[in-house]
Amino acid sequence: MSAADSPVVELESLGKTYGSGARAVRAVQDVTISVAPGEVYGFLGPNGAGKSTTIRMLLGLIAPSAGRIRLMGRDLASDPSVLRHVGSLVDGGNFYPFLSGRRNLEVLARTHGGGQERIDSLLDQVGLAKDGRRKVKGYSTGMRQRLGVAAALLNDPDIVILDEPANGLDAAGIQEMRALIRRLAAEEGKSVFLSSHLLHEVQQMCDRVAIISQGVVIRESTIADLLRQDDGLIVEAQPLDTAQSALESRWRCTRNGVALHVQAPRDDAPEIVRRLVGAGVELFGLSAEQRNLEEVFLSMTQPEAANA
Amino acid sequence: MLSVISAEALKFTRHRATWGLVWIWPIGLTLIWLLAIGAELSGAGGEAGGDGRGGPTAAGWIADNVGFWSVPGHTFGRYIIGAFVAVVFAGEYGWNTWKLVVPHRARNTLIAAKYAIAFILMAIGFTLAALLFNLFGWLEDVVTGDSIPAGITAGALLKAHGAGALAALPAVLLTMAYVSLAAILTRSTVAALVIGLVVTTVEQLFFNFAPMFEPYAPSLVSTFYQVLPGYHVANAASVISQGRVVEIPFQSGAFSTSIATSLAMVGAWTFAMVALTFWSFRRQDIN
Repeated sequence: MSAADSPVVELESLGKTYGSGARAVRAVQDVTISVAPGEVYGFLGPNGAGKSTTIRMLLGLIAPSAGRIRLMGRDLASDPSVLRHVGSLVDGGNFYPFLSGRRNLEVLARTHGGGQERIDSLLDQVGLAKDGRRKVKGYSTGMRQRLGVAAALLNDPDIVILDEPANGLDAAGIQEMRALIRRLAAEEGKSVFLSSHLLHEVQQMCDRVAIISQGVVIRESTIADLLRQDDGLIVEAQPLDTAQSALESRWRCTRNGVALHVQAPRDDAPEIVRRLVGAGVELFGLSAEQRNLEEVFLSMTQPEAANA
Repeated sequence: MLSVISAEALKFTRHRATWGLVWIWPIGLTLIWLLAIGAELSGAGGEAGGDGRGGPTAAGWIADNVGFWSVPGHTFGRYIIGAFVAVVFAGEYGWNTWKLVVPHRARNTLIAAKYAIAFILMAIGFTLAALLFNLFGWLEDVVTGDSIPAGITAGALLKAHGAGALAALPAVLLTMAYVSLAAILTRSTVAALVIGLVVTTVEQLFFNFAPMFEPYAPSLVSTFYQVLPGYHVANAASVISQGRVVEIPFQSGAFSTSIATSLAMVGAWTFAMVALTFWSFRRQDIN
């Protein structure tokens, strides 16, 4: 693997425990994930799953109890200056309420030691050019969120970490945010690590996702792999009763409206076709079952809710 | 580091706490003087021709006119200093803005910049107020017809202002150290302010009233006097501004120490609390 392909974010057995002894609470356990250059990576999980704790550890706000964080190939614990390559939006963009949006960005630019020249274009990019001179305390949640994105991009980072970037945005704002995030990755080559509860957005934006539940990553994969139901095929055939009789001796079959759900791996598709044709059934369609991300997410994090 | 200090300056020169707790000194002083001089000129404040202010000697006149420098070291002045430092250090927790800046700079740099900007702004506020106090004293004498003694030179005035500022310094630094530590540990502006007020008040009360308890616990009271910073702050200020040590009339004999000892004690307390502030912030989880 060349340096250009090396992961820009690597979390290795990362853990965070609050308290000690009997009162210890494990917020995050053994999280191991990596983000490739130019990748949009989604971090999904229900409330309290450990997403925010993981993001805070990534940003050096919280010290891990275990494990290692590497950013751009550099160890965060021994070289925290690597965070200069990172832009972040945490907690919906909290700013100095007594300063204007523009002044807030100036404060941050001075703190970073650069980025002053990007302020105007960023305000324009996030749709705050007209409101930049208003005090932040008069901003709506969506406006603060936009300012947060501008702040995250101020130092022209290689890695952008966004905690619930669509929070407080209306439908048009979410669409703009989605376009912006895609552009950051596709045109500017930035790696984006985002957490979100808007699964539809994650499905449309992210290349890969990790699903975290109760502090543990329970699945990391591409969106396509995640949505593919390995053991589910949908058969559209007539008559359906005959089709079911022909298949249920080998596979578990359930009626699903006008189709038949067959619990079988994709590799069994030719055998299914042979059996159906042999039984004189007219086959109209055979496809791998697709679930949406919400169903996958619920089935992994709340099995009882998914079955309801 | 300079860019971080300039970021802090951008923040706090526009914050109302700076107006209410720092710029209030020169502005308030100006308003009070204008009211006083207005009353005096309208006859309500007594006859023109002298109110006995100042002294017949140049040294007395200078001492009176640089008197503002006693304010920062006074208990009330320290309350105001504590309030400002509480806002500077704990404000970031209230606004939830540490998350914005901590990833981009070493934590030590961020804390050092806060000390720097709090000190710089207060130094500007107090210096402006002290110079205005001096100017108004001169103007008042001119307006009311009081004689200004001969022999007052710019050099002598500057020297007196310098000594006044130096005398205030131990109290200012110690107050900054108390309150900054309280702000970082409690993460609350109000809590830091309350702790600052309580500690400053207790320190002052102990300095004033501990000799009363000396007959009951002589060694304990004596030890506290030597170890706690209250006496040493007063002693250092007294030696710098008036050239004499503070003597505490214990029954077992007068207690006093040299300025070197007092400066070392105040320095040790200040250094220890500042170091603890840096250490605590470095280890702190910012949730």
